[in-house]
Amino acid sequence: MNKGVVLVVDDEPPIRDILSFYLKRAGYQVLLAEDGRKGLEAMAKLQPDLILSDLRMPEMAGDEFCKTVKGDPATRDIYFILVSALDGAVSRIGGLALGADDMIAKPFHAQEVMAKVESAFRIIEMQKEIKRQNQELTRFQEKVKGELELAAKFQMGLLPEIPGRANGIRYTHRYLPAEGIGGDIYTILPTQDGGAAVLVADVSGHGVTAALISAMVKTSFEAQVRLGGGPMDWAREMNRHLCASTLSEQFATAFLACIEPGRPEIRYVIAGHPAPFRLHRGAAGGLHRPEQLGGRGFMLGIDATLPFEEHRAPLLPGDRLLLFTDGLVEVEREDRRLLGEDGLMRLSAELPADGDLAADQLVGQTRSFNHPVEFTDDVTLVVIDRVD
Amino acid sequence: MLNIQTRQEGSAAVVTIQGKVNFEVTAQLRDVIRDTVAQEQPKLLVINLEGVSFIDSSGLGLLVAARNSVDKNNGKLHLCSLPVQVKKTFDQTNLTNYFSIFATEQDALRGA
Repeated sequence: MNKGVVLVVDDEPPIRDILSFYLKRAGYQVLLAEDGRKGLEAMAKLQPDLILSDLRMPEMAGDEFCKTVKGDPATRDIYFILVSALDGAVSRIGGLALGADDMIAKPFHAQEVMAKVESAFRIIEMQKEIKRQNQELTRFQEKVKGELELAAKFQMGLLPEIPGRANGIRYTHRYLPAEGIGGDIYTILPTQDGGAAVLVADVSGHGVTAALISAMVKTSFEAQVRLGGGPMDWAREMNRHLCASTLSEQFATAFLACIEPGRPEIRYVIAGHPAPFRLHRGAAGGLHRPEQLGGRGFMLGIDATLPFEEHRAPLLPGDRLLLFTDGLVEVEREDRRLLGEDGLMRLSAELPADGDLAADQLVGQTRSFNHPVEFTDDVTLVVIDRVD
Repeated sequence: MLNIQTRQEGSAAVVTIQGKVNFEVTAQLRDVIRDTVAQEQPKLLVINLEGVSFIDSSGLGLLVAARNSVDKNNGKLHLCSLPVQVKKTFDQTNLTNYFSIFATEQDALRGA
């Protein structure tokens, strides 16, 4: 069985013959050439695993041949052993500096050459194995990356189309997952009575697990809204659902709200989530005093028996709501300061009337505040203007 | 970096945490708490958060899970010495009402 291909390059026929004899006997396929140029010609037909080359040859000497082989990306991984008399023309170190992998001094014993060849082939095999594993890893990595990209696209598809309109409201969002795919989710749905139901949630952790749970949170919310009731019922049932279907450390902070037609208010539950800001007449843009909605409550998914509280706040046509997840305000700067909710409130005081411009401005100013530190967690910002 | 120390105080186990508790370090902290609960089976587990500069939702999740596992062993979990920033996070998520929280470690060890 063929143990590998060895190219022997030497201008002396007896040396070619003796090396060829030993190599063939040991099970290698042997290519022969009388100088570097002929060697390259032979290599064009069949690429060897190993080259044994003499240094002094009339046409393309061993040093030039070695440089040519090692300089070509297609052949540079071929193991190159330079065979040379150590007469001062070239030192061992000099030969290795040419890029040769090893050297054999002339005159040599055939056994020494064979021992070097055997050891070289052990290295060659190892290199091949590493290369193969590398390729496998790269393939795997690309596959995972591709799947993540698909999942991220799918997740983006779960978000409402923007800018959007539902019963009595106009909305837009900025959604920036930390790892391509994230644990933040938000949705806006029309309710049976002609109003709008709003959810912003942030599942603990990030990455794939958080993303899977976030999709579940969204589905659970949609199911609850379809059943009717209000934010309090939705929060209680979603909490029960999440407790039953996730592990002990996984839960979600959420803001759940409904805006009913003809009622100048918003009903909401805060489940461990940063409370949104309300800007009275903020939909017209300009300078306003943001107020943070009151109330607090447990996160969803901690304990099925925990109680939730429903709150109400005024929300009139022309008012604006800013909903966000903590990733927007909890970036630690180099001086260890955080923007925080207070900082975001200051930035929210003067915004353009257009929701998309307002969202861009807020995200932009938050980024400048953190600069050069980037967002580290999933970030969601939702701008809702009441228009009815 | 996170620094975690554990020690015994009579029938109680005390875990002292220093640093930032976020997603990157929860695995390390989870192991320590799990081992402490499994090996010592403490009647009382005190977690001292005095040196914690920041805790994110993964960290909170971990503490909730710790309470659940201590509950299962008929033990109690007491938290103590919450810095202002951490207290704010607990308040916002209502967890102040979910955990037994004490001002000092002494109080937490004495607290019934």
